[in-house]
Amino acid sequence: MRSLRRNAELLRALTEADLRYRYGRGPGRFLRWLLEPFALVGVYLVLVTFVLNRPGHAVGLSLAAAIVPFQFVILTVANAMEAINVRRPILLNMRFQRKLIPLSSTVTESTNFIASFFVVVVMMAAYHVAPTPAIGWLPLIVLVNFYLAAASAYAASLLGLWAHELKPFLLSFVRMLFFLGPGLVPLAAASSRSQEILRFNPLTGLFEAYRSIVLDGQAPAPWMLLYPLAFASLMLLVFVPLYASEQSQFAKVV
Amino acid sequence: MIRLDGVGVRFHFDRHQKVMTPVGARLRRHGSTKWGVRGLSFETAGGEGIALIGPSGSGKTSTLRLLAQVYWPDEGRLVVRGRVASLLSVEAGLLHLLTGRENAALLGVLGGLSRRGSRRALESVRERSKLGDAFDQPVSTYSQGMRARLGFAVADETNPEILLLDEVHEALDHQFRAIVEERARSIVEAGGVVVASGHDHEMLARLCTRAIWMQDGQVRESGRFDEVQPRYLEAVSALA
Repeated sequence: MRSLRRNAELLRALTEADLRYRYGRGPGRFLRWLLEPFALVGVYLVLVTFVLNRPGHAVGLSLAAAIVPFQFVILTVANAMEAINVRRPILLNMRFQRKLIPLSSTVTESTNFIASFFVVVVMMAAYHVAPTPAIGWLPLIVLVNFYLAAASAYAASLLGLWAHELKPFLLSFVRMLFFLGPGLVPLAAASSRSQEILRFNPLTGLFEAYRSIVLDGQAPAPWMLLYPLAFASLMLLVFVPLYASEQSQFAKVV
Repeated sequence: MIRLDGVGVRFHFDRHQKVMTPVGARLRRHGSTKWGVRGLSFETAGGEGIALIGPSGSGKTSTLRLLAQVYWPDEGRLVVRGRVASLLSVEAGLLHLLTGRENAALLGVLGGLSRRGSRRALESVRERSKLGDAFDQPVSTYSQGMRARLGFAVADETNPEILLLDEVHEALDHQFRAIVEERARSIVEAGGVVVASGHDHEMLARLCTRAIWMQDGQVRESGRFDEVQPRYLEAVSALA
């Protein structure tokens, strides 16, 4: 219990420092936190909703339901790839619980995710989509989203250490998962053959789960949560032990 | 209490001689390995200051990083018992974009204080680091001496039993250096350990009764400071 409390304090301290890096300080900080997600997802929304003028039901909301969880994952990956190098001075000076570094990246980016969720709320209002009781599933879906982002963070922090020069490539790969999943259009809009393939993408279930609750007002199908959960568990199973063995070498490498 | 028994630290390099982790080196088809220190054995029960002397690249910093448990031994056995405070790099563990206050809050928690304790200690750290208004400025605006002062003030807040100093204290001004020396002496008097390295042998002589002469990652000689240090200087003069 004491160790859990200690770890929670360490995680909070690391995250607070990370947030200062991310958003700076002063009165503009809150505004930046609130506006950054709009800037990040706005380009997609403008493109799909107005420029491409895609037909369909509440396309902007459908898109937001995919972009918001996706941004959480990709921003966590980007943060985690730098997380060890950013903490170089500390790593070279003192011992601390290094296993918490990727988790800290995830918690930092989850604050961005909270701000991003305003985009979904704005879209729901714009398309006159009222929340239904299915919205009660939201905490569980967010937890799965967090779990997947955290699992990606452990992998990304190691990749950032082993091959930092590959950062643009890795981010492009993660971005590719958005387009190789039902990011721009719902899964139902793809052919049945494509649907089978797209389901292998761990982001597919997540996107569809968000769409189910905010757009269709329905509970998500079990696979939508179980597959990303299983995928993330597998990643954690591989990368957490690897991270644990590699952390003893961090100070030599940074 | 500190005990090292045949301790070694190995570095892995890739083809471009960049230091890698073992797995990273395998992934990038590693080129070579080199021991930073090897066969390192010494112990202290406390109540003494130990100076690590030797030329650059002899393994002093690696040894201090081992004692700080920043490096893990790749072979041998290392036991460190007691609260450790360290000042091992000119960056003094400080993140440049954060202010002195923000760094102090973070390092206090990482150093073992509770979050509340770390926040409570902020004014004391500000006072003792003598940074004044600069305490609320980003560390990127600090001189090396200011960073070392802040690093030391934060480290000292955890009430250490083992103090590790790696040349960084040489960046301090004379006034603050006297404070560090006084604190180091009080740790030794209380039964703690101070391990310091550097090229300011006058200061090391004031802090340490024992010296470990390091060369090529190994202990060449260990004994009383006033016996080992002159022999080291003789050897350096003979090479010059």
